Amino acid sequence: MNMNIIVCIKQVIAGDRVKIDPLTQSLVRSAEFSHINPFDLFALDLAVQLKRETSSTLTAVTMGPPISEEVLWEALAIGADRAILLSDPRFATSDTLATSYVLGMGIRKIGKFDLVLCGMRTTDSDTAQVGPQLAEELDIPHVTGVERMEKKEGVFWIERTSDGFREVLQVPAPALLVISPRTEVRFPSLVDIQDAFTQSTIEYWNLEDLNADPMKVGRDGSATWVEALLPLTQQKSCVFLEGEPRQQAKLLFLKLIERNLFS
Amino acid sequence: MDFTLSIQQKQIRRMARQFAKAELALIAKEIDEEARFPWEVVEKMGPLNFFGMQAPRKYGGAEMDSISYCLVIEEISGVCAAMGLTIAVHNSVVVYPLSQFGNEEQKATYLPSLAAGEKIGAFCLTEPNAGSDAMAIESTAVREGDSYIVNANKIFVTNGGVADTLILFVSVNPDDVKKGFSAILVERGTPGFEVGLLENSCGVRANPVSSIVLTDCRVPKANLLGREGDGFKIAMAGLDTGRIGIAAQAMGISQAALDASLKYAKERIQFRVPLARHQAIQMMLADMGTMVEASRLLTLQAAHIRDQGGNSPGLQQWPSSLQPAPLQKCHRWVYKSMEVMDIPKTTRLSDIFEMPG
Repeated sequence: MNMNIIVCIKQVIAGDRVKIDPLTQSLVRSAEFSHINPFDLFALDLAVQLKRETSSTLTAVTMGPPISEEVLWEALAIGADRAILLSDPRFATSDTLATSYVLGMGIRKIGKFDLVLCGMRTTDSDTAQVGPQLAEELDIPHVTGVERMEKKEGVFWIERTSDGFREVLQVPAPALLVISPRTEVRFPSLVDIQDAFTQSTIEYWNLEDLNADPMKVGRDGSATWVEALLPLTQQKSCVFLEGEPRQQAKLLFLKLIERNLFS
Repeated sequence: MDFTLSIQQKQIRRMARQFAKAELALIAKEIDEEARFPWEVVEKMGPLNFFGMQAPRKYGGAEMDSISYCLVIEEISGVCAAMGLTIAVHNSVVVYPLSQFGNEEQKATYLPSLAAGEKIGAFCLTEPNAGSDAMAIESTAVREGDSYIVNANKIFVTNGGVADTLILFVSVNPDDVKKGFSAILVERGTPGFEVGLLENSCGVRANPVSSIVLTDCRVPKANLLGREGDGFKIAMAGLDTGRIGIAAQAMGISQAALDASLKYAKERIQFRVPLARHQAIQMMLADMGTMVEASRLLTLQAAHIRDQGGNSPGLQQWPSSLQPAPLQKCHRWVYKSMEVMDIPKTTRLSDIFEMPG
């Protein structure tokens, strides 16, 4: 039951290192303070597990500037067999729609696939749109919030939690699954990291390689664009609750009620 | 001269950093207070190759370059100095000399379990009357048939309380210690082998530094590492490597002290502004930052020289002896902050390890 599994990943900026370019209103990316989107690690982890159970082939894909190469090396260390970077200056400032188009063109170029896995959202733009949009772009079914999955007789059986219910869904291949965060991810070993670098390469595909329409990428291909990006200043204040522990607990409880933090 | 780390080295550093954060950060203080060796973490570190960082692939090691090795030790030590010490010693003064001087049979017997972290290694040189003056050792190994009868009293043995495979330095010639100075592999559990009292090592209590006593302990002759009389060469080769690891440990502790100081300086308000807004504090932070960075450059340079086949004992000595400076500054400020008390405790720690003294 060999499958071709594709995982879409993204390089994000470390939470405390976010800087905005005042001219382009976009986030400043540097290799030093960027890493793989933590939500994508869950998708990658599940994909590696699936790959090992079913002797499948796993391809990691990302769209981004050349420094995004680093997350692909990480994906290779974790267990991807092939890594593709969709990179072209014309892809810059793409919104989620244009990004999904580029990813879709990349996946079409890869060829036959059974499964596309995405993380739930990214920590730096947080839209949670790319997974479902990419499924639409590829014209395949998708399920979000996937907690468990297995393939039985050519069909994916999916489990997810929805409004306090456990939903069991069936979806035919090829499909796109958006993976829910889990509690633990495995670390690649030092040998895995070394092997990734000695046994693999990163493939670079640009607009022409993808045979993509330049009007559908970057700003021209975007349905939305960022007008302004302003850092939020958070005001923190500290209140000391006096009295015996029991009294302090009561005061804390009242304060939480007051702020509608208890329903 | 290119000082940038390769993507591969950065990935290795990132993995070690994330591992330390996920598995050690929450327990570092507790295991130090309880003087508990965290076997549950060691079990997770084994499959990730932390115990065979530079061992040959053939025996389950990662065969990593020395810069990557330093980066891993720095990251682990910054979160938990005791575990940084455990892997530094295990890798550099046990796995390395065994890979270098062991015969094929010894390597096949001992390296796979050491590299997998299933067995912990220790290096036993220091004695009550011998330290920097290694030739003053009183431990003996007397030939009897196919065995040596070993009598030894070793102290300050890092990993001693948990070690399974130990490299022990003895003299096989009681009349001429120098000629008879030899390294012998001893396994825990051999009759006559005893773990003595644990040291109460400040800040690295989770590492069971202990004495090791051998009384009429029969060790097969096949356990001799190298030849009789090779002991000094083996000890020095191990220590040359070991000191780079200890410098990397110092680097990790110093960086953690700097990070803690920086955090505290931004949080603590005095004269209506955070400490970091006061120029005197800024100068201290700048000094600390400079020292940490200088230490890092020296340590990594020493690692680089080692990979080129050279040796540079002076380089790695400096970071270790310098480490107390940022720590003492850190100590001054965060004295009352419980959150970071773990870090200053390790003051002067790396200053004494594997150093002449």
